[in-house]
Amino acid sequence: MSNCVLFVSGESGKAIFLTSGDVLVKACCSLSNTCSSRGSCRSCDLINSVKSKLMGVKSGSNIKQLDGELSAGIGEYKIGKNTLLEVMGLGSCIGVILSDVSTGICGIAHVLLPGASNKGETKYAETAIEKMFEDMIKMGARKSRITAKFAGGAQVFKHMNLDILKIGDRNAISVEETLIRKNIPILAKDIGGDVGRNVIFNPVDGSMIVKYTTKGEVLWL
Amino acid sequence: MTDLNNLGEAELDVLKELGNIGTGHAATALSKLINKDIYLSVPNVKIGEIKNLSREFIGDVVAGVIIALQDLEENKSGYMYIMFPEKSARKIASDLFDMDELDEEMYASTIMEVGNILSSAFCDASADFMNIVLLPSPPSFAVDVPTAVIDSVVSQMAKNSNHIILFETSLSSDSDIEIYLALLPESCLLDDMIKIMGQL
Repeated sequence: MSNCVLFVSGESGKAIFLTSGDVLVKACCSLSNTCSSRGSCRSCDLINSVKSKLMGVKSGSNIKQLDGELSAGIGEYKIGKNTLLEVMGLGSCIGVILSDVSTGICGIAHVLLPGASNKGETKYAETAIEKMFEDMIKMGARKSRITAKFAGGAQVFKHMNLDILKIGDRNAISVEETLIRKNIPILAKDIGGDVGRNVIFNPVDGSMIVKYTTKGEVLWL
Repeated sequence: MTDLNNLGEAELDVLKELGNIGTGHAATALSKLINKDIYLSVPNVKIGEIKNLSREFIGDVVAGVIIALQDLEENKSGYMYIMFPEKSARKIASDLFDMDELDEEMYASTIMEVGNILSSAFCDASADFMNIVLLPSPPSFAVDVPTAVIDSVVSQMAKNSNHIILFETSLSSDSDIEIYLALLPESCLLDDMIKIMGQL
């Protein structure tokens, strides 16, 4: 195993580990808010089970390997099957996730602007969601099973003298309206606030992981 | 409107020189302000697609100051984006007040003001060079990762273009201060820049 993404669920919680060779590079864990090691992650049953998996030993926890990771840049969307999806550094932007857990096909969009584009540009909320939805169906996702989660739309400015910077709320409203109009059920959302976010989607259990950039807080939604 | 994809090597060099003039003045202003020697990097001009923007910035949390620029007719000329890595921002603020601990309000307003001084110096010098007027807006301030701070500005620019031109340069001093400056010109300012190039 060279670079791989592992999802571990145990009795105490669940976590995603990125590994390179047999070294754990990055972890993202549902326990991090209460964990005593505060992100330094020395040892716990989740880590131990990943380590034993890397060494080829079977363990009690449930470990699934994902097929790599995909990151959507600003105004892009990415679709994958059984792939870890992420958007990084969201301020006023929104990360919109559509997923069909029954087939494992899911997509993530990094929405920059509210409304629709008449040129089909996916930086606009409506256009991005519609295109991503259609692409997912082409790949075999079932229309009736697609659900949505989204996060972002923060207002990071503590002192603001430019009205144009207040675009986060408008983005969030536009995303939500589009999803409702298309009858896509919204399972979770985390919008607004004054902190930027990184959003990760784990297709194995359908959870959206929101990491706050400056607070170090992690939400599993 | 200037097509960003068709800029040649020579045109990029002139843009770089423009960035150089601006940064030089900003460095002088900073040096006077904190009374230390300031080193500046050779400016970089990047024309990038918006979707790749996050790769252009450092990954750490910064104190970011954003200033909008206008010409006399109130046309949007672009934005100045100044990034202070947290450690540098704290250092600058505590050096200026000669105090180790500053309350958050004071800290924010100090960094905003430093950002304001640097961007004014940058804009004055480059506007002088081009013989145009650039009026800075009052600063806006945020502490977050660089893309989260800038994405609302990018969303404004993205309405017109999928590409963004970025002047990037950094200032540093012996005492571990680092500052990154970026200028994001709107198309009318870029047109002005290209016009100047034609005259050179």
